[in-house]
Amino acid sequence: MVEQPLAGVRVVELGGGIGGGAASKSFADFGADVVSVEPPGGGELRRQPPFAGDRPHPDRGAFHLAFGMGKRSLVLDLETPSAREVLARLLRTAELVLGEVAPAEVPRLLALVDPASGPATVWLTPHGLDGPYAGRREVDLSLMAWSTRMQRQGPPGREPLRRGPQAALVQAGHTAGAIGLAAWRARRREGLRQDVDVACVEAVLGNVDTAFVNWAFTGTERLSAPPARGQAPVTGTYRCRDGYVILGLTEPWGARLCRFFGTAPPGAAGHDWPETARLLERYLSSHDRREVFDALQAAGVMCAPVLDVSEILEDPQALARRSFATVRQPGVGPVRVAGAPFRLGGVGSDEDASWRARPSPGLGEHTDEILSDLGYGPEERQALARAGVAAGAGG
Amino acid sequence: MANRSLAGLRVVEMTEAWVGPVCASMMGDLGADVVKVESYPRHSMTRPVAPRAATMPGDGPVYERDALHHQGNRNKRNVALDVRTPGGAEVLRRLVSSADLFLEGYSAGKLEQLGFGWEQVRQVNPRLVMISLAGWGLTGPYIGRSALGSALDASSGYMAVRGHPDGPFEDVTPTVHSDATGSQTLFFACLTALEIRDRDDRGLFVDLSQWEGLVWQFPGLLGEWELNRRLPARTGNAEPTVVPHGLYPAAGEDEWVALVAEDDRQWAALASALGHPEWAEEGHAWATVPGRIRERAALDRALSGATRPLPGAALAGAVQAAGAVAARVVHSSDVPASPQLRARRWNRTITHRWTGPVQMGGFLWHIEPDPPAWERPTALVGEHNEEVLSELGFTPGEIEGLREAGALGDRYE
Repeated sequence: MVEQPLAGVRVVELGGGIGGGAASKSFADFGADVVSVEPPGGGELRRQPPFAGDRPHPDRGAFHLAFGMGKRSLVLDLETPSAREVLARLLRTAELVLGEVAPAEVPRLLALVDPASGPATVWLTPHGLDGPYAGRREVDLSLMAWSTRMQRQGPPGREPLRRGPQAALVQAGHTAGAIGLAAWRARRREGLRQDVDVACVEAVLGNVDTAFVNWAFTGTERLSAPPARGQAPVTGTYRCRDGYVILGLTEPWGARLCRFFGTAPPGAAGHDWPETARLLERYLSSHDRREVFDALQAAGVMCAPVLDVSEILEDPQALARRSFATVRQPGVGPVRVAGAPFRLGGVGSDEDASWRARPSPGLGEHTDEILSDLGYGPEERQALARAGVAAGAGG
Repeated sequence: MANRSLAGLRVVEMTEAWVGPVCASMMGDLGADVVKVESYPRHSMTRPVAPRAATMPGDGPVYERDALHHQGNRNKRNVALDVRTPGGAEVLRRLVSSADLFLEGYSAGKLEQLGFGWEQVRQVNPRLVMISLAGWGLTGPYIGRSALGSALDASSGYMAVRGHPDGPFEDVTPTVHSDATGSQTLFFACLTALEIRDRDDRGLFVDLSQWEGLVWQFPGLLGEWELNRRLPARTGNAEPTVVPHGLYPAAGEDEWVALVAEDDRQWAALASALGHPEWAEEGHAWATVPGRIRERAALDRALSGATRPLPGAALAGAVQAAGAVAARVVHSSDVPASPQLRARRWNRTITHRWTGPVQMGGFLWHIEPDPPAWERPTALVGEHNEEVLSELGFTPGEIEGLREAGALGDRYE
């Protein structure tokens, strides 16, 4: 079997959070030895619903089962000097640290990192490691509020809407993972050891799907009031017989939609958008999402069905590309999870198999083996467990 | 010194808004030599020739003043080519020969017609990593279908849970979340593929379906179905297991504050910051997690009543100081004044030939010891034609010939 591209790379994830879990996930999936150092009882990733069978348990949550895949779990109470000694020893074996911890914790964790030979570090925090808001606690919803991404997202008179649950936090974690890979590469190739500070707010606000740059260019918070549907081409969700589709009706797609219905396109003599809109409404009301998707895409119009998660699992494209994988998770059973985020070598190639889905670790499942690898003898390991510093299987 | 994490890498980016452009800018931020190849004479979708909503008013070419283009194009050089001409194709061939990474955002099959499919470019450069980023990938029944970010958001399962439970779905506005996260997926893909390239000393093709790059990010939704055979519901901004968790009105028009109490301690902090410590006193119906879940609607009404007269930013600050989660829903005009972003010198004023000085968002990360530098504002179309072509060995006479033949351009009509 093909060797995974990150095989042999030890990554230490700190905090057991959702963002850190998202950051280190792809490292594990592509073969890195990701050691997740988790607080006693587990971190936020393991507390996040939903749970298999609605039974809250640190080993049964959907976020843990997706983002924990292939990692090893080491439970340490980093409040204690003893645990920090263990961590220091672990960090000497690591090439990269991905930490989602409170900013106040970072200096004493960084003190454990050898400035010359130690791992590259990436710290994911809500507002960054310094500044007046550094101590603030934020969650996905408040991060979304900070990002300018909510300001125009809502029906008139009602509160604006977030994206999907945990979208901002996962995006920020994904950003931390990406820069972590670059920092790891620079350390390995150039001998350049770097410390990276990723503020969730900046990672989201500085990317696209935000309003700030548009405002800076135009001085307006709302680029334009959406025109009334039926009067002008509006990109958005449209009801059809069995649900909704999204239609992109900016050019060239608006003109192609007109051609689909045999009406004059915008700019041509006799163009009458309300007439096209009536034909569209009639067409949509008598066709299902997938019929509309197939027919309008064949006509060159940007269109997609609004699908729920049960439908994406059975989507013809997903089935053809095997976009989902099945993990046999001890204690839970077979679980379908999202597959490779990109296909090295192309779908079905040898290299495509470098992404692998492995079960997620039980809380503390690997504490003993990792302590042993780090050179702690049986008495020391039992002493650490007895003192509540390190917890084995069961957390 | 500017950051040099990716120094020595040459990236040829032939993509449009925004997955490819943002990823390539990140690489430029880290010291890679990024050459953006723009299509000519056809202009990209982020380079309008007539003013649009996001165009900065002023002088000069409209296609140099659109915010949508400037959002993802710093730290690159720019060459504008008609690769359908023999001369344009030769320029691209030499560029690709010199590159480590070739990012292409054309629809499936298009580049092969032009002579730059994977089987063709690997002959030219056996150590090239080429990544295609079609919306649904390069195999399967959806091959060739066009996809804006909004289409990927819609068909990946997460748009279906947006919106108020009682509101019409037409109110759910299109977003481009997949663009925002896709750039990160692409960046990870590039560096992972380069590891294989360096290990095996041969190039690699990567098929990045933006849809696949997005669907792993919502495990809570997929898990609800997969673990419990339930479809996640539309809940607006509410979380079924956290109360309070939502947006509440503040003083002024369209002013909102996010308030969240994850546990009893945060709830006590929030209640006391709002002047109602009794809401968290033992014995009160809202003092406990189950109590707050049971009485969500009444609690939300009471919170709204308490927050409505208060200015949002001050309210959020007071709640945060007390120890609960709060944030005002930020308007763009608030960003330059943010004490936090100012303290971190995050956003910055960039001067571009046609926009003049303009506020831009900062980098996605702070890096020590060598922070990234904003070495190049968004390049003008074809700004580096001569510079890059000279490096590729074209003589001034040849460059002039290419321009006359329409293979090379620096303005759109």
